[in-house]
Amino acid sequence: MLEYIVSKYNFWVYVILLLIGLYAMVGKKNLVKKLIGMNIFQSAVILFYVSIGVKKGGATVPIFLGNAHAAHGHGNAIIDVASYINPLPHVLMLTAIVVSIATTGVALAVLILIFRRYKTLELDEIIKIRKDTGV
Amino acid sequence: MATQFAALVIVIPLIAALFVPVIGWWKKGLCHPWVVAVLVVPLIASLSILNRVIESGPFSYYLGGWAPPWGIEYAIDYLNAFVLVIISVISLIVSIYSKKSVEKEMPEKVVPFYTLFLLLVTGLLGIVVTGDLFNVFVFLEIAALSCYALMAIGRDGAPFATFRYIIMGTIGASFYLLGVGYLYIITGSLNMLDVAQRLPEFYHSRVVLTAGVFMIVGIGLKMALYPLHAWAPNAYADAPSTVSGLVAPLMTKVAAYMMIRIMFTVFKPVFFIEIIPVTTILTWMAAVAVIVGSIYAIAQNDLKKMLSYSVVAQIGYIALGIGLANRSGLTGAVLHILNEAFTKGCVFLVAGAIIYKTGSCNITGFKDLYRKMPFTMTAFLIGAFSMVGIPPTCGFFSKMYLIIGSIDAKQWVFVAVLLTSSILNVIYFFRVIKIAAFEDVIPDYSRTSPYITYRLDEVPISMLIPILIMAAGILVCGIFSPEIINTVIQHIIPASF
Amino acid sequence: MKVIAILIIVLTGGLLIYGVEEMPDWGDPNSPASSHVSPKYIKEALEKTATPNIVTAVLGDYRGYDTMGETAVIFTAGIGCILMLRKKRKGEGEGD
Repeated sequence: MLEYIVSKYNFWVYVILLLIGLYAMVGKKNLVKKLIGMNIFQSAVILFYVSIGVKKGGATVPIFLGNAHAAHGHGNAIIDVASYINPLPHVLMLTAIVVSIATTGVALAVLILIFRRYKTLELDEIIKIRKDTGV
Repeated sequence: MATQFAALVIVIPLIAALFVPVIGWWKKGLCHPWVVAVLVVPLIASLSILNRVIESGPFSYYLGGWAPPWGIEYAIDYLNAFVLVIISVISLIVSIYSKKSVEKEMPEKVVPFYTLFLLLVTGLLGIVVTGDLFNVFVFLEIAALSCYALMAIGRDGAPFATFRYIIMGTIGASFYLLGVGYLYIITGSLNMLDVAQRLPEFYHSRVVLTAGVFMIVGIGLKMALYPLHAWAPNAYADAPSTVSGLVAPLMTKVAAYMMIRIMFTVFKPVFFIEIIPVTTILTWMAAVAVIVGSIYAIAQNDLKKMLSYSVVAQIGYIALGIGLANRSGLTGAVLHILNEAFTKGCVFLVAGAIIYKTGSCNITGFKDLYRKMPFTMTAFLIGAFSMVGIPPTCGFFSKMYLIIGSIDAKQWVFVAVLLTSSILNVIYFFRVIKIAAFEDVIPDYSRTSPYITYRLDEVPISMLIPILIMAAGILVCGIFSPEIINTVIQHIIPASF
Repeated sequence: MKVIAILIIVLTGGLLIYGVEEMPDWGDPNSPASSHVSPKYIKEALEKTATPNIVTAVLGDYRGYDTMGETAVIFTAGIGCILMLRKKRKGEGEGD
């Protein structure tokens, strides 16, 4: 049982983060807290992807240092696949981080519009104002 | 040339969207002709792609020359080309309509509006044309972000409705990304056809099951499938008229296209029918969506909100057709995507025209509208006929295929649901037409002449022509639907059905 | 509302924990993710693209289209904020 938890502990970490983010998005009443929950939720997905690419056994980052000039365009240095980690999840997550930031930016602009109109950012007060004015 | 069009159909609107601010700061009046001229190019490109697919079968385009699965691939087949043509046609028609409506509703924001308009069309085209799972996520976010910004500047309750849409839409996109990650762990690849090839040996693994459920729930959130539909009615109702005319026919239907892709190309249909009974759950949820959407629509007094609940009900039809998973049901679902594009486009543009002329679209204020705006209300009548399912409009043919599909699958409950919903559609649509056509404003007897003269008070020509083109499109699609089914839709359905 | 939130958490958490069991172990060099597509990236990136940083090679060359989409996302977000937040100059001061 302990072996099961320890050997896959990166998954447990991201599962807990994802559930925290999801609870904040659905259960909290302040609109800014919902937004922070959305950010935590997306960060959990990003962490999950990045943790896929790890290789045990001393693998290093996928950059060719030092012997770059020797191997430049000629391929006479033997490249050992097992000593560089998987580059593809990092590539995908660079795009996903940018998308997450852009969504947060647009959501904050919408929150400014809501605040200008209702003068509050609490969900139950906004619903009460909407019901009273008949919107 | 047709193979190069597969890449140009995305690149041209994207680069043109970068030029709109430049042109706008030079001369504001040039934005609209630029947008219309640019949107002709995806139309020509998608028609030529469809022509090429009909003549010589599906083809592939490798972006940058890198072979898949190391590079990104565009795998164009019948379903891709069909939905591409639909998106191009609807976006061109709505862009012609948009000039007067945007000038009246938001005159100082014309330049960013048209930029986001082109970016929204780019995002929708990009979701449809690509064959790589992660590329779908990137273009889904382009379309979603421009949609959020465009919807937030509408009527009074628009920012709040948009915030709820942001939260639910981001949950949907992130669930989809999580499902793609699970598939990547198991198969090691991101290309749709490659994953479809390597996946069958893992069908009984728990990871693949989790991936399937997450992807379906994520796409279902974007598609406004009951019970995940809570964002749709308010968001579509409070958006500006042009935006709801563009988004309501297209956004949820592109998500339905994604669901067909996932269920029938990436995962083979046998996975979703036998291993986890998603199709059963999908059909029951769809049946509930149809009934609940129609009942809520009857209770509304605001025309746009009523039409938004109608969108939820029609998505139920498409999901029912996908879930039935037999030949007639799937034909009905794909044909219904075409019908919904024209029908909802027509009625939402009519609602926009009514707002342009009278300032509000509360149904109780529609008295005498038939006499003042006859062409517009005739187009609304044709749209209503298509929604109910009266021949020869296209709505009749897609409903017929859905009913045949339910009978083939021996599910009599769904036949009853479909027929009941037609009756409910009659109730709420003909209430509008009754008030508009048959109720008179109380005549003013203090006038000198005893005859009341009604002046024809139509919307401007640039708004009227697109509405009439949409209405004509409904009739044309209905009359030509056997040809459409035989040349295009028949090849979309997997051969095992 | 809290009840719905707890229900969603329990369902999602249950589904996730159910799916964890058969995943490949953390850091396994023979998992399908590390042995199907990425060895070719690592082996051939330097000679085909002349870039010592493999992540840049994949991001800018093999999957350059995703990067174009990502820059379009940033542009969309910027124009969206301009659309929503800009006020008229006279009488309102500077809108942020």
